[in-house]
Parts: sequence; structure tokens; C-alpha cells
Amino acid sequence: MKKNLICLALLSLGLSSCKDFLTVVPETERTTANFYKTAADFNTAVVGTYSTFKHPGLYGNGAGALIWLGEVSTDNTDYGFPRTVASAGAFEIEDLNFSLANIYFRDAWLGHYQGIGRANGILDQLPDVSFDATLKNQYEGEARFLRAMYYFNLVRLFGPVQLITTQVNDPYGTANVGRAPVGEVYALIENDLKAAEGQLPATITAANAGRASRWAAKALLGKVYLTQKKYDLASAKLKEIVDANVHSLMPNYADAFSLATSFANNREVMLAVQYKGGQIGQGGSFYSQWTPFSALSPDFGVTGGAGDGLNRPTPNLIAAYATGDARRAASIALSYTSTTGVVVNEPYPVKFRQTGIIRGESDVDFPVLRYADVLLMYAEALNELGQPAAAPLNLVRTRARLANTTAATQPALRLALEQERRVELAFESQRWFDLVRTNRFEDVMRAHGKPVQPFQVLYPLPQRETDLNKNLAQNPGY
Amino acid sequence: MNSSLTGFWKVGLLILSLFFPFAPAWAQTKQTVAGTVVDASNQPLPGVTVLVKNTTNGTSTGPDGTFTLTVATDNPILVLSYIGFKSQEVPVSGRSQLNLSMVGDEQALKEVVVVGYGTQEKKDLTGAITTVSGQDVARVPVSGFDQALQGQVAGLQISSSSGSPGGNTSILIRGVGSVTGGNEPLFVIDGFPVSGAGGGNPLNTINPNDIESIDVLKDASATAIYGSRGSNGVIIVTTKRGKAGKSQIGLDVYAGYQEISKKLEMMNAQEFALFTIDARNNGYLDNTPSTPTFTPRITDPNSVRPTNFRIPTSLLDPASLGEGTDWQDAIFRKARIQSYQVSASGGGDNVRFGVSAGYFDQQGIVLNTGLQRYSVRANVDADVAKRLRVGVSLLPSYTRQQDLPYTGHYGSFGVIQAALAQPPNVPVYNPDGSYGTSVPAPDAQSVSVQSAVKIANEYKNPSTQFRLLGNTYAEYALLPELKFRTTLGADLNFFRSQIWIPSTLNTAAATGPALAVARRAESISWLNENTLNYQRTFGQHAVNVVGGFTAQQEMSDAIAITANNFPDDLVPNINGGIVVGGANQGGNDPAGRFQDYTILSLLARANYVFMDRYLLTATIRRDGSSRFGDNNKWGTFPSASLGWRVSEEAFLKQQNVINDLKLRASYGLTGNNAIGNYRAIGQLGNSNYIVGDALTPGLVRSSFSNPNLGWETMKQLDLGLDLAVLNSRVIFTADVYDKRNSNMLFNIQVPGATGLTNAVVNLGEVQNRGLEMALTTRNFVGDFKWTTNANITFNRNKVLALSTDAERIFASANGQTANSNVTMVGQPIGVFFGRRQLGIFQTDAEATEYGAQPLARAGDVKWKDSDGNRVINDNDREVIGNPHPKYFFGFNNTFAYKAFSLDIMTNGMVGFDVYNGTFMLNNSGVQNNTKYVYDNRWISASQPGDGRFGRSIRGGRNNNAQYSSQYIFDGSYLRIRTVTLAYTLPAEFSRSIGLQGARVFATGANLLTFTNYPGYDPEASTAGDNLLAPRSDFGSYPIARSYTAGVSVSF
Repeated sequence: MKKNLICLALLSLGLSSCKDFLTVVPETERTTANFYKTAADFNTAVVGTYSTFKHPGLYGNGAGALIWLGEVSTDNTDYGFPRTVASAGAFEIEDLNFSLANIYFRDAWLGHYQGIGRANGILDQLPDVSFDATLKNQYEGEARFLRAMYYFNLVRLFGPVQLITTQVNDPYGTANVGRAPVGEVYALIENDLKAAEGQLPATITAANAGRASRWAAKALLGKVYLTQKKYDLASAKLKEIVDANVHSLMPNYADAFSLATSFANNREVMLAVQYKGGQIGQGGSFYSQWTPFSALSPDFGVTGGAGDGLNRPTPNLIAAYATGDARRAASIALSYTSTTGVVVNEPYPVKFRQTGIIRGESDVDFPVLRYADVLLMYAEALNELGQPAAAPLNLVRTRARLANTTAATQPALRLALEQERRVELAFESQRWFDLVRTNRFEDVMRAHGKPVQPFQVLYPLPQRETDLNKNLAQNPGY
Repeated sequence: MNSSLTGFWKVGLLILSLFFPFAPAWAQTKQTVAGTVVDASNQPLPGVTVLVKNTTNGTSTGPDGTFTLTVATDNPILVLSYIGFKSQEVPVSGRSQLNLSMVGDEQALKEVVVVGYGTQEKKDLTGAITTVSGQDVARVPVSGFDQALQGQVAGLQISSSSGSPGGNTSILIRGVGSVTGGNEPLFVIDGFPVSGAGGGNPLNTINPNDIESIDVLKDASATAIYGSRGSNGVIIVTTKRGKAGKSQIGLDVYAGYQEISKKLEMMNAQEFALFTIDARNNGYLDNTPSTPTFTPRITDPNSVRPTNFRIPTSLLDPASLGEGTDWQDAIFRKARIQSYQVSASGGGDNVRFGVSAGYFDQQGIVLNTGLQRYSVRANVDADVAKRLRVGVSLLPSYTRQQDLPYTGHYGSFGVIQAALAQPPNVPVYNPDGSYGTSVPAPDAQSVSVQSAVKIANEYKNPSTQFRLLGNTYAEYALLPELKFRTTLGADLNFFRSQIWIPSTLNTAAATGPALAVARRAESISWLNENTLNYQRTFGQHAVNVVGGFTAQQEMSDAIAITANNFPDDLVPNINGGIVVGGANQGGNDPAGRFQDYTILSLLARANYVFMDRYLLTATIRRDGSSRFGDNNKWGTFPSASLGWRVSEEAFLKQQNVINDLKLRASYGLTGNNAIGNYRAIGQLGNSNYIVGDALTPGLVRSSFSNPNLGWETMKQLDLGLDLAVLNSRVIFTADVYDKRNSNMLFNIQVPGATGLTNAVVNLGEVQNRGLEMALTTRNFVGDFKWTTNANITFNRNKVLALSTDAERIFASANGQTANSNVTMVGQPIGVFFGRRQLGIFQTDAEATEYGAQPLARAGDVKWKDSDGNRVINDNDREVIGNPHPKYFFGFNNTFAYKAFSLDIMTNGMVGFDVYNGTFMLNNSGVQNNTKYVYDNRWISASQPGDGRFGRSIRGGRNNNAQYSSQYIFDGSYLRIRTVTLAYTLPAEFSRSIGLQGARVFATGANLLTFTNYPGYDPEASTAGDNLLAPRSDFGSYPIARSYTAGVSVSF
């Protein structure tokens, strides 16, 4: 009543209402209050959701957590860097001897949930706004696709996770939310991807390069099925991609990653993290940071400092390439010549090589889904179903200049596929996920001489999160 | 009208009287009355004002207590008034000789105290409020009244952290209340709450001579009426207004000069060379391993030494170097200070006016720094109708300032640090007239230190500020006891500044790219207040009720534009180069944008007095603010207080010792809304990506909307005692208080599943407990008068809760040392935190035995291994000092004999620590350091120094210069703030030369400071208002000593 009185008086002063008077919005900063109104708003929000790929907890610019957790933690690569206090956290990953405060777990958790939060924001707001139905469909599909991908990574890295499906507006909003069973997380992922494959466009124009197509959604859904050992669903979904003949293998392996084969000509890559040099904050350092530690060489073709030996191929990986495999030279250089002319036998990945650049300013994209992966997954699903599976595998081998597989039995083909995926997808952060999916992580790592524990098929939840939420139980064993 | 006015002034006043119709009384029949005024002990009272009632006709008694006055014959009534005595009215009744006596009054009790939205008689006051008269403010020759308040009010802690003209003053009422919000009290100038929005220091824009009184509101009872802005206390400034009857023209002038109050004794050139050679030798021996064929010796020539340990050629022969340059002499100067003010005030029954114009000019003691202020005051009150009074206050001012980056590291053009660090063998000017400098570094053994004189001459940072504070009011008496008052005012503030760094000025190379920055900031704040005041006495009951509502809006807009790529230095501003950035490019300046802030309030206060002895005050305010989240838009801030005037009780009425005794108690809630604008609103940030091989904007949520975000909540309990004894010649006030500030704004970590990692929420709690006492005694009251004002404050600050018990909020006041201070639970805010120095290793064996410092040798600093793991690292840090004083005080004495008066103000602060970064910087013989370090450093076991400073060494492997308790010093000081000697011209003489009165005076300020602190001044701090890392002395602008003389004349 009193308040009304003063508002009345304010009105008499020519002011608007009380509430209006006390509501001011920043005019020099964007706020959430006036966002999510137009198609353009949603487009920038979707772009922002894709950009989570570059969070240090995902791919980053070259040293993201998925590199560490997907490759360095396996028999594929190690860290060619001095062991110091500063690098101790990194070696915990290589040694499979984790401390709960390790930043790679923390970053992976924060990064994926950041992406999920962004997707949730879009999905919450879309129903309330009307604009062009095609675009609206596409944005919803993209948000669902990305949310599914981020949850798929989380559930594989950490097991049961908090299932958050709407934007959280209260800082304490998730502070008591416990972990949802893996089945519930997969149900959301499948649901999202099934919706997305209907909503995403069949073809991506050059102007939209980097965005997800329905084929990317199908490939991811196939991988989700395969991971859950739903082989019939997996083979059916992957077969759709093979039959559609939209994507195919590049004739030369190296061309799948080469800058020279532009988007329009590269039918193999189905989704890649987009990079661009030129010091606009979007350059990649996959190649330059992975060159040998502290080494300078004209071979590298990179200016502006030395690499730090991240993702250094192990002798084990180098030996895995069969004689004549064209992929070895396209993936790994075995030595370099130093600036003083000395040949140093230190291997480093060249899969994403781009010369003539400043360190960290590469244009080469990082593949997340590509057709070779689809063929190998398809073969894996068929083999598990007891059906003939050699044909898709041989497509990949042929492109690598190798003869057809000689594996004839189901177990032999399993091993042949494991070997093929290893060399085909090396340095693409697939190895850890593949070994865990096929229940081979423990055996392979022990054979590699790493004292791995059975519970290490899941990473520990970051201590930051278990500290902030008492209902967040730690994974067993940690 | 005084008949001795000169013709000129008569004309002037006649003109004025056309506008201001006051009634001249010179046309009636006259008679002469003479008289003597004495006090109760029959001593004559000089200086008593004798005025014919309802006229301007009056005089004052002479030294012998006598007066003569020409009055009209129609039985006039004389009004006698004198401070400390009861005013009385005496009918002349045809007598020509009057023998009058005056009785002592409970003087202070009659005083009227300005409280929020009204005034109150001091005897009825139940809150903790201290009043300082304008006279006490004006007697300190400084640019801003805030500096002048130092030492005058219990509970008010003022530190002049910079001695630059218009420099920063840190003002705290009853301790540091907030960790993350603002800590400055609310300033209310002529009823208008002002803020520092938009740039410039608002307090510098007020001429201290224009101030009638300053009221410092301390407890919740007093401040809760200011609601969400009251928790840090309130300072109400009232400017001078005209009074009916006494028309007066005044001229106040003073001028003088300032100089540095203390110079640091630096090493001279010869000592610097010896120190440097020592440092190079020690570094060489420590870092060069012996081999079977080679043992390093200090006699080894430069040719065999690594670059770092070579002795600069210029220092090879110390004996030849002599004194060298004291760079302080080159940058500090005798600087003028002057102030002029002309004022006029007066009026008749219907219109009263007070106007003034002032000019203030203060050069800084550092070359090329200074401040000039042009100020005007125009206050008019008019009774335009029987029940309607209107009035206006206008305070326009224009301030110019010449600044330099005087504080901080010389690498950022810190002038003072550059002067201290410059090797003394470098001359100020080379023989060819060019600047002597170490830029670029002369050799690999030295570092680049730019000439402080060159920086002062070539770096330009002028600024100007135009400010207009204007407030109008209308007051209408609906009933004799019910008044409605409405005000409308605005505070306009226009600030502009420039920075110009020419290509000839660089801290590393002979030349560098020129840079220019231009800043503009303006802020407009308007305020409307509407109050009803009801005041009535019913028998034994007296009631005074105020209620009302107010609305205020503050808009500020600031831009900063940077330019570089200057082809030449011919156009020394942004127009000469290529503009490279706008908006927030002016450094980390949050003002670089448009901001808007609104506040709506409802307020009420009731005072109730029963039998003139039982007092009750209750206040409440409801504030709604745009800064608060939607769920917390409105906050309510109540307070209640009780007072008991024990001396009015019958059992104390019978005696004559106690004139007044009052007990007070108050409790209330106030808020701190200094949480920044827009913090409750969720913001979007850029997260761009590459789509279609092109950079594509992405927008994502970057912060939570927090609809619950609100003010910080202060709960304060105050218990007070007011006592006046011995004919009110001794007046004592004491208060104890307990203030707890909770719901502070914190940036906390939140679960990642929210999609964000941080959120700003309200939590945490800080406590300030304290005791403050003030004593006024009139020790002698006869011909020789001596009055003492003393006050002392004890405050204890403690953090009770942060977001977690383990949280440590690190802060640092200067770029040299990261994390020098910490705020953590159980400790005061911003304590010094670092390694604790245990001493100096006297022998290599002692160092080896200690074990925790494997690289230490004899002469190196020994640190405490707090966790006992025999490794010294960050985990061994502990609290090593407290920046908050145990107590601070003011002790002010006024002596008067006849026309002479001597006023001595002293103040002090005891039991606080200061971090001195100056000593830290220069231990390796690269930059100069103080003689103090030279004399007290460890040289050998037989010359161990003072145990604080290790050996001089370059490239020491123990890193002795590590931030530690080594650099924490006790800052306790006692300062003679001002000494003023004044002489009032005899009235007869004044009149004979056409003056109403005249006073001449001489003032010395900051004449002496007693302290063990080895730096310039324990108050000087680079930290400014950064209370999370206070009291960091790193090339702070030292406080000046000044000598001024002036004259104050009224016509």
C-alpha cells in the first residue's frame, strides 16, 4: 500500500512504474534477459555450443583432456616431456596413477557440462519462439546432437553422471543431484540422436562446414548402440550411412586430414572440430605442440618456439603398422634433423601436419567422426552378430595399401578390427574408448607393461565436484 | 548596519539589499548602553556576543568583559550569547549601565546535531554521532575535507595513502566491514548522497572553507535511516547558509609552501659501488663451482666472470665516486599552496543568503604535479509566504589536476621508485644537457632505470573535473507542528583526463612507441525526497516524527580511447596517432561503459522523549534498488535506540558536579549496496567458433542470473555514555560497539553440472568490535584559556565466515609481490601472509644444519619451516603482520590568551604493520637502495647487521628477496598534524580601518612525525582503497610538510 503510494508519486514525476524504475539492464553488455528471441540469437547460441569442442576439457587447441584421456592413457602414446613438479599431473595420466584433483578430469567434467548447459538453454527456449521452421528444426537437432555427444563422452569417461536436461538457473541447483544410472543417460542420448537424425539437414553447405548433418547423427547413434552392445541396432543404423553413399573414403589416407582437400572435396570426414590460423584465437596446435620436446627443426615447418612432445607415439604403436601400410608414414615421423644438422631418432605425429605456420596457428581440423570409423564400426557390429564382416574392413585396408584381412573367425576378426582401428584412428582420441568398449583395456595395458586396475575402465570423478556435492559418490576403487 | 563600513561596501550592500529586503534599523532614536559581563565566579567574559533582539545591531565584549552599544530607545532587549554559557535576554529598561553575569551551560547539549532527514538537539540524541565544526575542518591546509577530519573523530580512521594533491584518502568508520563490497562511508552533502561514479574524487570538489559542519553518523540508530547505504557509516556535510541579521562579507586567504617531510637516506655513489661490488662478489662465489684447477676468488677480474657477476666499469673505483646524485632532490621540490575565498552572507527575516567564491592552488611536492580548484557556493533560503519556505544550494566547482604515475615500479614509470632506484653515480643531467639515465641499460651488469626527472617532465596526465551539486527544497507548514518538505537535486559530474607518453620516454630503450589515452566520464545523479515532519510537545511528552519517500537515479557514461602508431610527437594526444581501441581500453577501468542505477526508498523515524529524560528513537527504511535481484528487490532496515538522561532524575538533581549523564543503547540493521551494478543479471559472453571456414560469433551464458542477490547486511549494537561534569568543563563520551556484516558478496565455485563454474552470491560474515572515547576539557577559562579535545578508538576486526572455512582470498597491492595479503576465517581482513624470517644464517654450518634451505649460505635469510617438513615452500607461509591499528587517537589543544590563540593538533595510530616493498626491490646492487639497508645488512659473522637484511648478493641461490616478514615493519606513529598560531586584531583597531574583524594566522602542518618506520611515511600506501591488501608502501607519494600564513577578514 505504502509502496503503491510512492509509485503513484513517481508517476506524477513523469516516471514509469515502480518496477520499471527499479529494473535497469546493462546497455553495454549482453544479458540473458533479452536473448533467445530471434533465429539469429539461436544461431549464435548453437555456434557457442559447438565451440565447447575447444574447451580444454574436450579437444582444446591441441592439448585438451580428450587427448590425454583418450590416447596418452593407452599404449598408443606417451608424454615426451621432462618429469617435473609442473608436469606431474600429466604423467599421472600416462602412468594410470591418478590423483582425484587432476585437472584433466576436472576439465573434462566442466567442459562437457558446459556444452550440455548451452544445449539445454537452447532446447528450453526454442519452443517459446517462432521463426522459420526449417531453421528451428535444424537448431533443435544440433542442440540435441551436441548434448548427446557430450553426454556420450561423459558416460563413457565417468560412468553414471548427473543427468541435467534443462538450463540450471540456481547456482545451487545441482548441488544435491546424484548420479543417474548409465541406462538413463543412454536413454537420453538415444532419444536426442533419434530426434536429431530427423531434424538435421542431409547435406551441409560449404558456408555451414563444421556443423552436424543427419549422417553425423546416425554415425554417432551407431557408435552409441555399438558401445551398449546393441549390435543389431548398430549395424542397421551404420548400414544406412553405407547405403546412402553420401560419404566415402578418400583415395589417399593422408588426404582425409590434409588442408589441401577442402571441405567440398573431403567426403570422408563427417564431423570435425574446426580450426583456423591467423591469430584470431581459433588456431590448432595439434601438430606443432606434438613435435618433440624443446626441439627445433626445419623438418617441422613451424616457427615461434618448440613443441612439448605431447602424444608421442610409443614403439608399440609404431610396430603395430604392418609393412607397406601407407598410414604409418602419413601418421608418424620417426626422426627429425635438428637445426645443427643432427638426425634425432625421436618419433612424433605428423597426421595433422601443416607447414609454414606459427606454432599454435594451424588450420587443420580435428576429426571427431569419419567414414573409416563408420566402416570399422559396421564391421564390428556385423561380426558380433555373427554375420560376414570382412568387406567393410577390407575397404579400409585397401585404401591403406594392404591386402584383405586373413581373419576368418569371429574372435580373429575382433582382434583384426582392434588392430585396424588402432592404426587407422591413431591420435584421434579413440583408443581408450575402443579398448574399454571391447573389454580389452586391462589385457592390452598389462601386455603393454602398465599396472592397470580393473576399476580403471572408468576415470575418477573430479574432486572439485565431489567436494561441492555430497551426493556425488566417487567411482569404486578411487 | 555597521556605520564604519567603507563607502564601497555600503554601495555593495545597498545593491544587495535591493535583492534581499532585510530591514535596516538606522532611522530610530538612539541611546548608548554600556555594560560588563562576568561569569559565575565573577571573572569578566571577553568575546560575548551582545545583540539587540530581532536586529542585526550588536557587538561583542572586550578583553575586560565590557561593551558599549548604541540602541534604539524603545526598550530594546539585549541577547547575550557565548559558547559554553546559557544565552540570556536582558531588557534594557532605560538603563545605561548594565552589570550582567552569565551562567555556564551544559554547552554541548544545546548543540543541534544534523541527523539524516532532520536535526536533533544533542541532549535528545540516542545514537552515536560526532559533530565537527567547519572551523575545525578549515584549519588544516589541505585540498579535501576528508584529510582534515583525521584525528578529530573517535571511530573515524583516516589514512592519507597518497600525499599527492587531491590524492586518495582511505576513510573507515568503525573498521573494515566488507570483504568484497565497498567500505567507504556514505557522503551526504547538503542532503544529497553523492558517490564517486564517473571518475574523479568527489570530495576534492568541495572547498573546506564552505563547510559549516560535518556530522559523522556511526551506530545503527543513526545510519539505519540511510538503509542499504548506511552500513559503512554516514558523513553528513552541511555547507554554510546565511543567518538572519548578520550581514557579513568575508575574505579568507592563506598561502605558503610545502616540502617533503622526510627524505630517505640513500646510499651515495661510493656506498652504492661498494654494495654492488659486494653483491657481485657474493653472487660470483656462490654460483661458480670450484674445480680441481680453478677456485673462484673475489679478486678475479671481470674477464673470467660470467656477465651477471661482473662489476660495472663505472663502479670499479668506489673511492673516486664520492657522493653522487641524490635523486630525491631532483624530483621533490618546495611547492606552493594557496587558497582564496570571498564570501558574503546575511539576510533579513524573509530571505537569507550565503555565497562564496574560492580558488585553491596546490602544487605537488613531486615535480609537475598539482591541483587547482575554482569553487562557488550559493545558498539561499526564502520565506516566500507565511507557511512556505523555499531554498537552494548550489556547489559548482572546476578542478584541474596534474598527475604522474608516481607510485609503483619504475618499469611502469613510477617516478618515486625511479628516483630511489637510479644508481647515484648517474647525474641528473649529463654535461651535454641531456637527461642522465640508465635507459637503455649501460651494460649487461645493470638494468634500465629511466630518469625520474625525464618522466616527470615528459609524461603528461592532466585531468579536469567539473562538478555541480545542486539541491532545491520547498517546505510548507501544513500545521504549526506539521511540515511537508520536498527536495529536488542533481549532482552533475564531468571528468576528463589524458595520458601522453612520448616516443622519447621509455623505460627500457632510448625511444619507444608513443602512446596516448583520452578518457571522458560523466555522471548524472538526481534525487527527489519528500518528507513529512511532525513535532509536538504534550505536557511531559515530546514527539518528533519524520516519514517520507525518496527516489534517486545515477547514470554514468565513460569512454577511454587509446591511440598508438604515432609518426612523431608533434600532436601529443590521440589525434596524432592511430586510434586502436575504445570502450574498456583504458586499462582495467570498469567505468569504461554506460551504467545506470536506481534506488527508491521509504523512510520513517520517531523520536519520543518522556519527562525530558527517557528517550526513544526508532527508524525504519525500505530500499528498493536496481542492483538487487528480483526476489530481493526491497530490503527493510530497522533500528531502535533508548536513552536515559540519568542526570535529570531527582537523585542527581541535587548536586552540582554532574551536569549531564546519559546512557544510550542502540541496535539496528543497515545494508551495504556497494555491490556493483548489474551483478544480479545473467550475462552473455562470446564463445566464437569456425563455421564455413570463417570466424563466426557464438554467444553463451557467462554468468548466472541471481534473482536472490541482495545487499550486505550489517547488524550493529552500540552502548554509549555521555557525561558532562564540573560546570560542563569536562565532557566525556564513550561507546562500545559490535558490528557484524553478513551476506557479503562472494564469487563462489559451483558444481560444473550447472554449466558454469562460478556464481556471485551473498555469504560470509565479518565482525568489528570496538571502544571509542572522546574527551573535551576546558582546562582554563579565564584570560588564559586552554581547551583539550582528545579521542581514542580501539577496533578489532575479524572474519567470521567465508564461502568455506578453508577459503583464502589472496590479494596484492603492487605488481611486485603476488599474494602479499590474505583474508581468511579467524583473522582480520587483509593480513600480511608470507614466510616468517627467523634471522640470518651466521655461518655456512648453521645453514647446513638447518637443512630446510639447502642453497643457503652464511648471510642468507633464514625462514621458518612452519610445517616442519624441512622444505621451505608456499605451505610454510603464515600470518606475518596486521595492517589494522590496535588503536588510533587524536589529541588537540587550543591555548588562547587575549587575542592570541595557539592550536596544536596531533594524531597517531599504534600497533599496525606496513609492508615496505622499496627495500625488497634493491638487494642485488643493481638499483640503489637506502643507507638503512647498507648499514644493516649482513657482511660477516662479526658484522652481522640488524639481523633483518641478509648479505648483498646478485643471483643469490637462496632468493633472499623473497617476500617475507623481513619487509614488514611496525608503522606506529605520532604526528603533529597542525600547529596554528593566530592573532585577532583588536576590535577597535579593526573598526578603525573599516573592518568588522580580522584574524591573522600561521599554520605548520605535518611538522613532526615520531615513528620507527624506516620508509617515507607509515600512512603512505600504494594500496589506496584496496582493503584486501592495505598498507603496502612501494614508492608511495610521501606526505608533505607545509608552512602557510593567512588572514581572515570580515567587513
